[in-house]
Amino acid sequence: MNMALRELSSLEKYLGLKKPNKYSTRGDKKVPLLQTNNGQPMVGLVTIACHLVKEAKRPELLGCTAEDRAVVHQWLEYRVSKLDSCSKEDSRTILKDLNLYLQDKVCMAGNHFTLADVLIYNGIHPIIVDLTFQEKEQYMNVTRWFDHIQHCAGIRHHLPPVVVLRNRIYTSKHH
Amino acid sequence: MGFGDLKAPSGLKVLNEFLLDRSYIEGHVPSQADVAVFEAIATPPPSDLCHALRWFNHIKSYQSQKNNLPGVKKPLGQYGPAGVADATAAIAKKAVDEDEDDDDVDLFGSDDEDDAEAARLKEERVAAYAAKKANKPALIAKSSILLDVKPWDDETDMAKLEECVRSIQMDGLVWGQSKLVPVGYGIKKLQINCVVEDDKVGTDILEEQITAFEDFVQSMDVAAFNKI
Repeated sequence: MNMALRELSSLEKYLGLKKPNKYSTRGDKKVPLLQTNNGQPMVGLVTIACHLVKEAKRPELLGCTAEDRAVVHQWLEYRVSKLDSCSKEDSRTILKDLNLYLQDKVCMAGNHFTLADVLIYNGIHPIIVDLTFQEKEQYMNVTRWFDHIQHCAGIRHHLPPVVVLRNRIYTSKHH
Repeated sequence: MGFGDLKAPSGLKVLNEFLLDRSYIEGHVPSQADVAVFEAIATPPPSDLCHALRWFNHIKSYQSQKNNLPGVKKPLGQYGPAGVADATAAIAKKAVDEDEDDDDVDLFGSDDEDDAEAARLKEERVAAYAAKKANKPALIAKSSILLDVKPWDDETDMAKLEECVRSIQMDGLVWGQSKLVPVGYGIKKLQINCVVEDDKVGTDILEEQITAFEDFVQSMDVAAFNKI
């Protein structure tokens, strides 16, 4: 099963959806596809994920206020347009941007956990896994947020946990 | 544990360091631990303590549901980084002292009755404070010291020397392992470890007592000194 499908299946489990959907993929990029009853297929990770959230009647996961909803969607788009299939160079820029963004935030959008946290977590996991301890300290805000999300019950189904060393080994200045 | 005085910049700095890699005071969700610390802070942390400020604003958004957050509120001294002296006793004492000062300024009461009343209240408060202090286990500073005890010559009875050293009993001193280390010409020195409570035992006292065994001990040195 490809990563996107595994991710959707994980999301279903987190949302407590009893009946798992049957997904397929389309095209070279293996974009996930969900066939619906009315004939029109749903295409794309974000589209399907939002659909699942609505199906599970958890609209708060898409944001509680209009502002939060906009921010959530911004990050969902970011996931598929910037994060997926980014180069190693790009990944460092992404980490820098995220680190600055997360300096004064506990969650990606507003003060509550949303789908943005889930999808960015899933998307950034392969990058974080490869970071050295020193790099994890360099992007301390991302590491802090990442550790918070991976400990949230039910999120981390298909991904291995990443060890975040709590003792500050490198006491260089960082924010 | 504890953060020191959270109403002072020093305490807020400790909080800021603590929250550098943590989203919450305890665990990974907002809890009564966060409520307890939030309520101890007088004003929002300054923006240069960005982690404390981040946490403060986040917890502020949970104010309406603070009673529903999981966990049980513990005294502030139970949260925060290990190794920070628990200042809550000092702050409580300050509060008790300030209350006692207020007792002296009694403009309306009649003298005799109120003196007795004030005295009784003062007694009660001091007793309560003392009981509170007694219940709180203090942070005891300890060190592990490795001593080199040198004999006069190679004919000194090292077993007896060791016996003499170990016979030194003091409050806050615990003898540990020992071994004999050759130093040359057939002479061996006794290398012995001990753990001491910093407040009660110092190396100078140890040296005094060990070198008192003049028949066996020529000198004593501190080979290693580590804080525990």
